[in-house]
Amino acid sequence: MTVAEFFSCSLLAFGPPLVMFAMTVANDPVRIIIMIAAAFGWLLSFLLSSLVWFAVVPLRSYLAFGMVFAVIFQEAFRYGMYRLLRKTEAGLKEISENHEIGSNKLEMAYVSGLGFGLMSGAFALVNVLADSIGPGTLGLHGGSEYFFVTSAAMTLCMILLNTFWSVIFFNGCDEKNYLKIGWVIKSHLFVSALSLLNTKGLYAATIIPSYIVLVINAVVAFQCAGGTFKSFVQSFSVRS
Amino acid sequence: MLCRYIFLLICAVFIKLTCGERLHEQIYSSIEGGAACFRRLNGSHQAGCSSANNGAVGVVHFVRELSDANWLVKNATAGSYMAIVNTALFREVIDTFLKQPENIAGVLLYHNSSLGIPAFSQDSRCPNEYFSGPGSTCSSLEPSSSVWNEGGTNLMRRDIPFPIFFIPESRLEEINKIEQCFQSFNLDMDNQNGRPLCSVQMHSFMFAAVDSTVCMRRSASSALITSAKVCDPLGDRNVYYSLFPQSKETKKRVVMVTARIDSASLFDGISPGAASSAVGMVTLITAASILAQMIPVETNTYDKNVLWTLFNGETFDYIGSQKVAYDMRYGEWPPLAPLKYSDVEMYLELGQIGGSLLLHKEDEDWPFKMFAPVTANNLVVVSETVEEMSRHLATFNMSLQLTSTQNLPPSSLHSFRRILQDIQEEKNGKNLSSVDIDLNGAMSQMVMVDHNDHFTNVYYNSALDDYNNIGFNYHNLSIGNDGTFITTNDLIANGTMKRFEAQVKIALLATAVARTLYRRIVGESYTGNLTASAHLVDEMLYCFMKSQACRLLLAADYAKSGGGEENLPEKPAPLYVGVTAWPGTASVFAGHLLALLTGTHLAVNRTQCEAMDKIEYSYYWLKGWNHSGVCIQTTMNFSQAISPAFTISDYDFASGEFSTWTESVWREMWVRVFVAAGGGGARAAGVTGAVATACVAALTYWLRSRARHIFIEAPAASLVSTDAAAGIMRTVNC
Repeated sequence: MTVAEFFSCSLLAFGPPLVMFAMTVANDPVRIIIMIAAAFGWLLSFLLSSLVWFAVVPLRSYLAFGMVFAVIFQEAFRYGMYRLLRKTEAGLKEISENHEIGSNKLEMAYVSGLGFGLMSGAFALVNVLADSIGPGTLGLHGGSEYFFVTSAAMTLCMILLNTFWSVIFFNGCDEKNYLKIGWVIKSHLFVSALSLLNTKGLYAATIIPSYIVLVINAVVAFQCAGGTFKSFVQSFSVRS
Repeated sequence: MLCRYIFLLICAVFIKLTCGERLHEQIYSSIEGGAACFRRLNGSHQAGCSSANNGAVGVVHFVRELSDANWLVKNATAGSYMAIVNTALFREVIDTFLKQPENIAGVLLYHNSSLGIPAFSQDSRCPNEYFSGPGSTCSSLEPSSSVWNEGGTNLMRRDIPFPIFFIPESRLEEINKIEQCFQSFNLDMDNQNGRPLCSVQMHSFMFAAVDSTVCMRRSASSALITSAKVCDPLGDRNVYYSLFPQSKETKKRVVMVTARIDSASLFDGISPGAASSAVGMVTLITAASILAQMIPVETNTYDKNVLWTLFNGETFDYIGSQKVAYDMRYGEWPPLAPLKYSDVEMYLELGQIGGSLLLHKEDEDWPFKMFAPVTANNLVVVSETVEEMSRHLATFNMSLQLTSTQNLPPSSLHSFRRILQDIQEEKNGKNLSSVDIDLNGAMSQMVMVDHNDHFTNVYYNSALDDYNNIGFNYHNLSIGNDGTFITTNDLIANGTMKRFEAQVKIALLATAVARTLYRRIVGESYTGNLTASAHLVDEMLYCFMKSQACRLLLAADYAKSGGGEENLPEKPAPLYVGVTAWPGTASVFAGHLLALLTGTHLAVNRTQCEAMDKIEYSYYWLKGWNHSGVCIQTTMNFSQAISPAFTISDYDFASGEFSTWTESVWREMWVRVFVAAGGGGARAAGVTGAVATACVAALTYWLRSRARHIFIEAPAASLVSTDAAAGIMRTVNC
């Protein structure tokens, strides 16, 4: 049963992002480069936040403290990615054989967000997946056997959120719209804070609000990218 | 360190674990203190247990009645099960499991003495049946046959298709841990399938398989292949000590007095062997020490000698005695002054004694039986000895009866009888009709035991044969600085010990044995008043049954050059013979104790001691009673206890002539308890994962293909012209 758990949890957490990667990123080397660069950026942000956590000894035992720093560093690196991409945009476009690149300004934002999210998701889940191979599952000292599913679902949520956040954040930076940037940071903090509830085993209290935030972010990102509800509805009647 | 902290942080923030613990520790709980059943092999079979290479997993089920066992093999629905059995039920339950092992992943056996355990012995009903001498009638296969070990299940010699772990009583809290888990997950026995269930995983994978021939071949390295060792021959060392020094020139006829050192059990590291072997060994060492005082070595004027011998590996088809008997046949044992069979006037074995101690814990009696194959040739020696011994025992209110029979209880004597029969057959030109094996009065054979036709020790060679089985209570009296022990009479007079206690009885038995031997050597009855000390027996039993960190063993240990105290572990030395590659501690302790208690203490320093070179003696520099080091001149020596099967080149392992036991190699043994998933989580994740992936795929496809129509208000692309350097770049392949 546990091998099945491993594969189904992997599917739940990484299936959707993998499909997105395959359909939108994989066919363009430049996008792959951007995605990898973003993933690397996320790793650097995490290295820094762990250094802070390591350095400030008295606060080590407080999860919330480490969490806040992790969020701040991630957002700082998201801004770093934005600066980097805007600087290298022209060059990247030069070497690209795909002329469609850059037709939408937020394409880069989407790709780098996916890279951010995939790396954070990998970090979050790989360790759990390793234990899901079994033969045991949670339950001996409390916890339920649905722990692995909820972890996978949360990971999927974080990957998609990171993607949308990048889109909103980049758009906010382009337009100097600090409301959008603030919204990204606040919703990131909110979702991370929600996950603290897992200590008490309140999985539903984490997942449901997180997915609500995900839907809101998806809508905002969609609008940032230039989509409207009307255009979406119309797209079903228009022949491409 | 840094990596570890980063890792922990990641766990903490993103996996959202309670208190930042490793997830692994939340899932699994290790069961500590268990002893695994392991695999031994002989010339034709493999015996014992092994798990699969990655361990055996099964759903926990507590077997409290026989009906639970039947439910497991017949009605259980959730696949493989781990049966948690107590020692009281084990004997009945294991039969059921071995008949239908399909549902059984493993057995976790725990000891709870409050349940009252009727009989518990994993040895054969006829121990070492196939290596018995002529005239033995015990047959484990015939149900009607009168057998020695009535409670024997023979598990130690059977191939068990699942792993078994034993949890001693001191670790009962581990069972409580499993029980809690069982209570919260597994109680609904009819609907177990597809639910999260409390389960146990056992890992005790054995490298060796099939039989000794195969595993020795696999272990042997050739010029081409260096192979990993998969099994080792069983064996250790025999201990022997003669009252007077023997050399080739001054050889005397000897009286051999023997006992066995080793015991065994099904489980690794647990072989208490109290009544199985330890009492006999302690009696022998005590008797040897008191005889050495009765007949000081300086009065070496007698024409007879006593050779005290402790055999090792006797549980496994008489390894030690086979080696000695085999070497004696070729005039190679003892190496210094080889004996022929005709040199051995009398052979007295202190067999399995101690089983009746518990039956007589309220009275002074301790009835013994002397089994002897009496013939016209040895009638005189045997009857004299039995008479003398029962006279001495009678003064202590104990009794001895002679049983004249060819059907001897399991004892080292069988090895000698088999070899003697071989010699006789060769002499008679393979005339099998002759069973008169006495070589002109050589070797009057006697085995002294405290049981009749069946063992009184119901825990023969098992994990439960510990100090409780002989009712031993340690008194913890200090020993004098010069090695003086309080005499038995004083102990009883001042009320420290009672007359019924095991220590006192063993001391009296040892005294009777020593006085009987005195008569045989000196030729007249002993008139002095030397008796073995119950204080010495008390200490010695404590050393072999409760803790190696005892006064006697500390005194008998090698003195280190630095003079530092070495800490011996506070648990009894395992009496299991072990493998030849690793020297056992029990034989070393027994040998050193003999040396310390019987040898001459020389007043020389360490350098002088090491320079001593009288050929008929050995010299040991031991710690001594005051731990300052003492030089012991002794005739005690060690000889190999390894089956001739492993020393004869091209020996046919299937011939059944010598013991062929080997022990498998293993890497690790562990047990852990956890909750196994019922599959609900996997199904939920699978379904939601598939749906989510499909939805995202559809949405992505739609947004991508209709991007122009959907993102109509897209922010303007960057201002950089696409044509600027396009021509140049496109010619570069980068």
